[in-house]
Amino acid sequence: MSQPLLEVMDLSRRFGGLLALDRVNFAVQPGEIFGLIGPNGAGKTTLFNLISGVTPPSSGAVLWRGGAITGQAPHRLNRLGLARTFQNLRLFEGLSVLDNLLVALQRRPRSSVIGGVLNSANHQHAERQRLDTAWQLLEELGLSALAERQAGTLAYGDRRRLEMARALATRPELLLLDEPAAGLNPAEKDQLCELIGALRQRHQLTVMIIEHHVPLLMRLCDRLAVLDFGVRIALGTPAEVRRDPQVIEAYLGTGGSAS
Amino acid sequence: MIDNGLLVQMLLGALLGLSVYLPLAAGQLSLATPAFYAVGGTLAALLSTRWSALGATASGGFPVPSLLLELVLGGLLAGLLALLVGRLVLRLQGIYLAIATIALVEIVRVAILNLPFTGGAVGIFAIPQPFATAAGYLLPALALLALAGWLCQRLEGMPLGRAMAAIRDDELAARCMGIDTTRVKLTAFVLSAVLAGSTGALAAHFLNTWNARQGSFDASITTLAFVILGGSRTWLGPVVGGLLLTALPELLRPVGDVRLVLFGLVILLGPVLAPQGLITPGLLERLGRWGERRGGSPAEEVKP
Repeated sequence: MSQPLLEVMDLSRRFGGLLALDRVNFAVQPGEIFGLIGPNGAGKTTLFNLISGVTPPSSGAVLWRGGAITGQAPHRLNRLGLARTFQNLRLFEGLSVLDNLLVALQRRPRSSVIGGVLNSANHQHAERQRLDTAWQLLEELGLSALAERQAGTLAYGDRRRLEMARALATRPELLLLDEPAAGLNPAEKDQLCELIGALRQRHQLTVMIIEHHVPLLMRLCDRLAVLDFGVRIALGTPAEVRRDPQVIEAYLGTGGSAS
Repeated sequence: MIDNGLLVQMLLGALLGLSVYLPLAAGQLSLATPAFYAVGGTLAALLSTRWSALGATASGGFPVPSLLLELVLGGLLAGLLALLVGRLVLRLQGIYLAIATIALVEIVRVAILNLPFTGGAVGIFAIPQPFATAAGYLLPALALLALAGWLCQRLEGMPLGRAMAAIRDDELAARCMGIDTTRVKLTAFVLSAVLAGSTGALAAHFLNTWNARQGSFDASITTLAFVILGGSRTWLGPVVGGLLLTALPELLRPVGDVRLVLFGLVILLGPVLAPQGLITPGLLERLGRWGERRGGSPAEEVKP
């Protein structure tokens, strides 16, 4: 097997008396779509927060291509190639859709502050490149018609896609999606499923995805990890996970496995 | 009713409004502007009265290039102080940052009051004059304001300005998008200090005397009122707020003692009637469209 893109080793996080994550282990291979499921409060979002640097872990390590990145600041991790969306949507609501992307594109390419103040040729060139990339992404996610709208005024599904576009704008290798299908209707869920697959191809992404909608995950993911009360109780392909007695118990309760 | 002296004061007010606006544009409520204003003013007052190499004459004159040098030095010293202090206080958020910056204003005020070379409570007198009349100060004040306004305008089309706006909206999301928010906030804080420091250096000459009372907690509130009345969504807001609120007490002079009540009413009613401030992006857009119609592109005039 090639070197994993991301490895999580014995990762734990304690909030006061609550052990939200208990020595979780797994590795994500380059190019795969890796799903994370579990009942509410299982620690899925906490895990994302630890990986993306939003919360420091209590113990354990996160490795990126074999090197430790545990406890690094979110902006450093993002520059390393790790981008995320948020369960509760955190757009720059006062900014236009286009500006939301331009914020995320500010290092693509880099330009100096002095050049910006003086509006140098370099700066203008960089701005044009940023605009081009932004429009491409808007096109790709079907948001071009909304470019000038204020992000806070968008419909729910559009916001979800804008958040994905914004994460993609930072040119990640690993994209963490926290419940991207929440609040979408079945037709939108199908579209999202296709979109994620297509984005993986075009942007050469590795994707980690948290989702409650199990059928969607089973269809989309190469492998899945199942969390329950902070413990990873299963790991494997969708078919393997579906048969796992512990998973069936966590989801359906004891005795529910009779089928 | 508005003489040249008041005009200069209004321009200085607008400059201080911009100084409060800059950190606020990055979501940071800093009330430290008067501290940096005091630092710049004190430096200029000291240099021009003690350092003969700057060329102050016996009759109280002062060469203009020396004034420009003081504007630069005042800005630099204030900026340096902001760089040191900012690393500490910008860890705080919201109202806690406001309180820490008020403390900075107090520390600077007490320091200037008690340092052996700043003239104590009386302050520094007879600061030499580069210009014979108040009108002479109009040009440097206007130039400084134009420079600051141009910088703020440029920021809007630059990564730095966009990062500031993003932090104001959602700091955590900004961090996750690769923005070094600590650095961006510090940059905005230092820019604010440089502007206040240079403004202070100019004000010291204009006012002719300088003492610790120039940078007090009252000034923190007054300069914040410039931004609240004018609006903090575009840089024109604090400029308009600074101009208006500096002029108002003088313009109200004919009504006598009631003027302070009226002044208070304006500050009270402003945010109630225009919660976003007088100048909002929406207003500027409407003005732009109106201007276009009046300017009359033929295509538009044909339309009913």
